[in-house]
Amino acid sequence: MKRIQRAVALAALATATALTLSACSSDNPNPSDSTGGQNITLWLAGGDTPDSLRDWLKAEYNSRTGGTLTIEEQAWGDLVTKLTTSLPDANNTPDVVELGNTQSPTFTNVGAFSDISDLYNELGGANLLQSFVAAGLVDGKNYTLPYYFGSRYMFYRKDVYAAAGIALPATLDEFNQSVVRLTQDNPNGIADFSGFFIGGQDWRNGISWIFANGGDLAKQENGEWVMTLSDPNTIKGLRQLQEIYQNASKAPSTAKDESPWLYINDSDSAVEKAADGSETTLTTSLAAATIMAPGWAHWSIGDLVTVDGKPGRQWNDDVFGVFALPGNDGQPAPVFAGGSNIGISAASRNQEGARELLRIIFSADYQRMLGEQGLGPANSQYVSSLGSDQFAQALIASAANSKLTPAAPGWATIEGGLHMETFFSRIAQGEDVVALAAEYDTLLTPLLNPL
Amino acid sequence: MNASLTRSAVSAPPPTVRRWRPGRLLANLIAVLVALIWAFPVYWMINSSLLPNAVLVSTRPRLGPWGGSFDNYAAALASGSFFTSLKTSLIVTLTAVVACLLFAFCAALAISRYRFRGRTSFILAVLFIQMLPAEGLFIAQYKLMANLGLLNQAVGLAVLYTAAVVPFTVWMLRGFVAGVPADLEEAAMVDGCSRSGAFFRITFPLLAPGLVASGVYAFLQAWNEFTIALVIMQKEDARTLPLWLRGFIQASATRETDWGQVMAASTLVALPVIVFFLIVQGRLTSGLVAGAVKG
Amino acid sequence: MAQTSPRRTARRRPNWAPYALLTPAVAILLAALAYPVGWQLYTSTLKFGLAQQFGQAADFIGLSNYAELLSDPQIWAVVGRSLLFCLINATGTVTIGVALALLMQVVAKAVRIALQVGLLLAWAMPVVTAMTVWVWLFNWHFGLVNWFLTKLGLPFTNHNWLEQPSSFYAVATIIVVWMSVPFVAFSVYAGLTQVSTEVMEAAQLDGASGHRRFTQIVLPLIRPVLMIVLLLQIIWDLRVFTQIRLLQDAGAPASSTDLLGTYIYRLGVGSSNFGLAAAMSVFVLILTVLLSAPYVRSLMKEDKA
Repeated sequence: MKRIQRAVALAALATATALTLSACSSDNPNPSDSTGGQNITLWLAGGDTPDSLRDWLKAEYNSRTGGTLTIEEQAWGDLVTKLTTSLPDANNTPDVVELGNTQSPTFTNVGAFSDISDLYNELGGANLLQSFVAAGLVDGKNYTLPYYFGSRYMFYRKDVYAAAGIALPATLDEFNQSVVRLTQDNPNGIADFSGFFIGGQDWRNGISWIFANGGDLAKQENGEWVMTLSDPNTIKGLRQLQEIYQNASKAPSTAKDESPWLYINDSDSAVEKAADGSETTLTTSLAAATIMAPGWAHWSIGDLVTVDGKPGRQWNDDVFGVFALPGNDGQPAPVFAGGSNIGISAASRNQEGARELLRIIFSADYQRMLGEQGLGPANSQYVSSLGSDQFAQALIASAANSKLTPAAPGWATIEGGLHMETFFSRIAQGEDVVALAAEYDTLLTPLLNPL
Repeated sequence: MNASLTRSAVSAPPPTVRRWRPGRLLANLIAVLVALIWAFPVYWMINSSLLPNAVLVSTRPRLGPWGGSFDNYAAALASGSFFTSLKTSLIVTLTAVVACLLFAFCAALAISRYRFRGRTSFILAVLFIQMLPAEGLFIAQYKLMANLGLLNQAVGLAVLYTAAVVPFTVWMLRGFVAGVPADLEEAAMVDGCSRSGAFFRITFPLLAPGLVASGVYAFLQAWNEFTIALVIMQKEDARTLPLWLRGFIQASATRETDWGQVMAASTLVALPVIVFFLIVQGRLTSGLVAGAVKG
Repeated sequence: MAQTSPRRTARRRPNWAPYALLTPAVAILLAALAYPVGWQLYTSTLKFGLAQQFGQAADFIGLSNYAELLSDPQIWAVVGRSLLFCLINATGTVTIGVALALLMQVVAKAVRIALQVGLLLAWAMPVVTAMTVWVWLFNWHFGLVNWFLTKLGLPFTNHNWLEQPSSFYAVATIIVVWMSVPFVAFSVYAGLTQVSTEVMEAAQLDGASGHRRFTQIVLPLIRPVLMIVLLLQIIWDLRVFTQIRLLQDAGAPASSTDLLGTYIYRLGVGSSNFGLAAAMSVFVLILTVLLSAPYVRSLMKEDKA
């Protein structure tokens, strides 16, 4: 035993030493390259920016500066965690970062981004989407600028509307009444049918009713942010929304804004042939006459067809249509504008390269490329690149009055804590709107103004 | 083991060894049922991975992969990043498992075969480390790795994983080492074995199930962990498989979630573990122990 | 265990061997944990938010974070829920795990392998993967569970499992137990195989009273493994994180379903209040220590014997 003990003990010591050594020997490569341009890293959030655009950015950056652009894609759900750890760390920070427009105020307020006010006019100035510019503005200085926008509009079933004898609503009030009537009429006799399918936790769509009634989530008073859920206009919008939740939508109170298009598709009459020749009639998944979704949802809406041997969806103009949610003034209602901002990490050692990348991103070429891919370009001069089909028209119309969540430093905290989800789902479950609004005003106001 | 126990067991009337009982049939039936229940989600994942999305989102489930194809797998593998992640995951996991078993075995040997000053403190410390909530540690873990220059490096993650699993493994192995009666070794020595021979022929085989169980545990923890990896391995080419999968699910959610592809990607992540498990399964359950005791 | 021979307990002089044997384990634990744990203790006394993470000076505020935590009624609701959840899951998991380990011993070899493969498959599923599948199975609209229950004639069409906390916890319990049972079953089974075949056969054949056989023969033999497994289940289930978080992502209302793990996470990542989150972590650590103290004491006592 003695000999084994010694052998085992020696082996143990040796491994421990090896471990310590290997932990120290690794070096930290510096991304800068003194001969050519700076080698920089760009973080893109999610997969919205198509590969063709990424390749173009890399090539363009290289030809302009001689440096290398590395693009890393970060998943939306983990972005805040990664920004929190990496952005302050000069050795590992990405140089340019895309982040959600609603996340921008929180990070700009703590000094995560470089002041790019001097570039503002060169990059587009007043032509840039101003609600997004505001989300990157602190004390009159620009820290982040809009990257792209995508606002939400309505998809509806022409056939179901026609069967119920309901015309396309021209005002918000008409819309609210129409969807309730559709639900009651239920012309196709479908179980759990929704005139308008909106999930109980789907606050990003739900806040459109607040905005459309002239209300807001929060405002700035004497330099402090306060929630304004109890504002009479906000309450009015929330009451309309509760009416919809209760009488027009059979979506569960826990549903978020994921995949609402599944419920507008019609597959009750669809017959599917299996490889062995047997036929299956898919049971109905049609459950809604109207949904609200980002524009790219139209790829997932339509008749069930077979493409390359696989079932897929093909848009059918006879059955499906789109419109922008109307306001009561006949103009499109202010809806929530989705999209992202972009900024330069303050800790980056490659400020020059990063600024050059911004010039490339805000160039006419790239802005047009964004539009051609269905992403709303940051610079309004290039909105025409979105095209002129019904989807582009609905996108442009709905974006015209679109609004953002409050540019308060603590807004990301409220999103991260899932407070809006909870608030809206409690409204959906029928709780008293006034009491609930008061409760959440008290709960959330301190979070808007962090430490 | 306990002498009185053995005696009472031995003094029991000697019944026939392989008598058929109705209870036995019931037990077998229950065991089959439990096996099916536990394996079902895995079956469902594989089944769904073979079906196109449009079938999956209809309200009538298709219980078998009729009319299925491997298209979803082709789509999930298309970007090629799977194999980079597979490599990272393998390196991290194997390093962590080997280091953890080695370190923990040494420590378990120390605390179960010796009395020494600091022994109790070590045992208590190991227990308390188990109780640390990890959800609040990530900023500090990031700073630690950044300062060591180990961000985005397999070795950095392996160090954290090893440390995360060592306490548990020490405990587990300690139980097994303590469970091996020292008398056995001594008996073997009486039979003419050297002390080291007694250890490797008698004690070590008895520990095999414990080592395998702990190794499996360490493997799983390291293979599946994703909160620490998320913070430490931020570069795309440094992702482990759970990060790859999560990225895949989230990227797919930006457009329409293609459940068929998500399930295919999930199957791909689970597959190496399943293969590993089926390999060690025999070890985990073989008659090694009984053989050792009798031989 | 009482078997440790007296020769080993009575060490004649200080021996360097056990220290050398401990060195690698201690070294790796110190390397990986000393700084993070120290940081956490220190940060729990600071006003530390996102601004401080980005370099602003952090004010020392003593125990204010702790005071703020303990005066918040929500934390006690979370603690209560977590304790209950932990109790149900830990006992459920261990009971089922032991039952399956015993089952493995009595069934035919082919059936035993089938059972083991079934458990292995479940155990081999990465958590993210398993949660994706489970969320999909319990989906209110397309989920197989609702389809199956509806087929049985029960009113479960479009039933929403995550809406009510009670049914949310039922789903979470099913998932957590499903995930944890294989580990317990295999550990206990491995413990059982250590018992000499003669004793086990005698025990199996001593058909007088199954209950007596189990409590008086099997249980004492697997006690060390069982104790550790139970202790670990309690520790893990008390701050179960990933499963709850991913169910919340799938739509469960966060504020009424938070357990200790997700609560720390929401204070930290969710609300960028890292000082408070650190204090909460320390609080959870203390809570776990208190909860497991009886086990630890009996483990240590057994160890000394």
